[in-house]
Amino acid sequence: MPARRAAVIGGNRIPFARANKRYARASNLDMLTATLDGLVARYGLSGERLGEVVAGAVLKHSRDFNLTREAVLGSKLSPATPAYDIQQACGTGLEATIAVANKIALGQVESGVAGGVDTASDAPIAVNEDLRKVLVALNSARSLGDRVKLVGKLRPGQIVPEIPRNAEPRTGLSMGEHAAITAKEWGIGRTEQDELAAASHRNLAAAYERGFFDDLVTPYLGLTRDDNLRPDSNVEALAKLKPVFGRGEDATMTAGNSTPLTDGAALVLLGSDEWAAAHRLPVLAHVVDAETAAVDYVHGRDGLLTAPVFAVPRLLERVGMSLQDFDFYEIHEAFASTVLSTMKAWEDPAFAKERLGLDVPPGAIDRSRLNVTGSSLAAGHPFAATGGRIVATLAKLLHEKGPGSRGLISICAAGGQGVVAILEGA
Amino acid sequence: MSLAPLYAKAAVGAVLPGRGSELPTDEVVRDDVLVDRGHLADYARVCGFALSDTLPPTYPHVLGFALHVELMARRSFPLALPGLVHVRNRIVATRAIDAGELLRLAVHAERFVAHPKGAQVDLVTAVAVEGDAVWTGRSTYLARGARPPAGAIAATPDELPDVSDEPAAAVWRVPADTGRRYAAVSGDVNPIHLHPLSAKAFGFPTAIAHGMWTAGRALASLQGRTDDAIAYDVEFRKPLRLPSRVDLRTRAVDSGWDLGVAGRVEHLRGTIRRSG
Repeated sequence: MPARRAAVIGGNRIPFARANKRYARASNLDMLTATLDGLVARYGLSGERLGEVVAGAVLKHSRDFNLTREAVLGSKLSPATPAYDIQQACGTGLEATIAVANKIALGQVESGVAGGVDTASDAPIAVNEDLRKVLVALNSARSLGDRVKLVGKLRPGQIVPEIPRNAEPRTGLSMGEHAAITAKEWGIGRTEQDELAAASHRNLAAAYERGFFDDLVTPYLGLTRDDNLRPDSNVEALAKLKPVFGRGEDATMTAGNSTPLTDGAALVLLGSDEWAAAHRLPVLAHVVDAETAAVDYVHGRDGLLTAPVFAVPRLLERVGMSLQDFDFYEIHEAFASTVLSTMKAWEDPAFAKERLGLDVPPGAIDRSRLNVTGSSLAAGHPFAATGGRIVATLAKLLHEKGPGSRGLISICAAGGQGVVAILEGA
Repeated sequence: MSLAPLYAKAAVGAVLPGRGSELPTDEVVRDDVLVDRGHLADYARVCGFALSDTLPPTYPHVLGFALHVELMARRSFPLALPGLVHVRNRIVATRAIDAGELLRLAVHAERFVAHPKGAQVDLVTAVAVEGDAVWTGRSTYLARGARPPAGAIAATPDELPDVSDEPAAAVWRVPADTGRRYAAVSGDVNPIHLHPLSAKAFGFPTAIAHGMWTAGRALASLQGRTDDAIAYDVEFRKPLRLPSRVDLRTRAVDSGWDLGVAGRVEHLRGTIRRSG
């Protein structure tokens, strides 16, 4: 165990916006800077030198190198605050939190900010690969003759740009298509997915209504709430949607029980207890431990988004806890079917024995403790921003619950990875 | 929001007889102005500000500029709009303005005085929110060769601090289309900014950058490093020819910054101070 645990002091995010709508004109840097300035304003950190700021984006322009440091330089934080970028697909925000929390636990820094940002609206579009090769060669050509030869290689078809797709490079399948395979494998039905989606909207709307997000969200570009949220969402309406992922009669995944492409940013403020006390800031929770797992979804038997199924039992064993020891569960809703198949895998004795190497499966969780203030199906999912949203949300829930309360975070990520963590209320 | 038709009207008016000899005494007012967030995004992009809900302190100038033109395009306005040169601009923001606030813009002209090279006039833009003054911009324009008003003598303006001793904080490569891009956002379609040919017609060897673009970009480079309530005073010196490579120099002072933009010649001096 580390000598000390990092404290989660608070967080800030901007409302998440469906792609190509309210934040269509905002870049990753714009959103990250605004979110950082909101955090600085909330916790009175103007001019403060923090230990570090760690964040990232999944969809990144080449101009976005050093994105986080650029955001720091454009913010009210002291320019003497170091920063770096990380990227682990949808795990980015939580992995960034773990990175900062670990440095705090080791005493290398006293404070830090972690999170992420993503825009699906201002996505990077690259030049055609053939055109790029000609342009690179042209740039390094020495003689006029070489240049003329290279210009002769230009073809009209090279104008067609490369647009990023939400697909795995090694399988060519979209994330939704991968999730549909897993859903079928675990026999996840349409109705239970729609129920989970409706609950997400209902819980998020209720949390907004009771003011839960008042000190977690700062309006941006005139938006005050996540615009994907439909407070009146219900199973009947969701049942009418046509499936978009999977094929044939038993396709169950719709736009309603899958997350939409979203723009947004979220950050978490972390520190040592001493730093928080010296700055007269509250401690909401502490980071207990974390685990990252990966699966072979290409040639192996596991689904793309199933790595948390493995990460959580490993983490529980290390900290000596059972899956039922938690007051809150935050399982990222990439798709409703992902949450449901993850829970089903934990309940399955054969899977536990064969794949997890456990005589007794981790078991069922109390569904009334799951995503109690909504999750990605309602809020939306700007890939790298989701971790920061969840950490700040759970820390506040645990603080409300009281000291010693515990929460589990589970986030699946592209590339067959999963990041999970445990927080304890302070 | 192209001001081209008004410009054309002013250009025609400039050669017609009937020009007045005194400033209009009334204000041009716009009530309940709501910022167009798309336009704000365009402005932020062209000047280098991060896009947020807070208006860059130089942005209200763009809102007021249409009213400047409206006032100056009047036949009775004593100076001809084409050929007016922006020589000084002082902005005082008493607080940050949120893009969602309803603004009242009021523009009037004052201080019509003789200048060693002609005549000069100030166009003053006042921005208020719910009756409270939140922003004032004073733009001083020089009309070279214009007949000065009788009796009035121009006070020599105080020069802003020279920062040419400072090392360059940044090198700007200013592309040739900068004038066109800023014109599209600001509505300032003065031909001297648009194209080398149209600039030549007015005696400039190439198109030149808008002074308020240079001022905006300099301020953007200090975003996060300034207060919400600031006084931003800029003095436009020699035109910034396009394209160009120029240096930004900054110096931290007690309650703000001194700054300058210069290439082979000096283009801009500025001071940023905490206001109020």
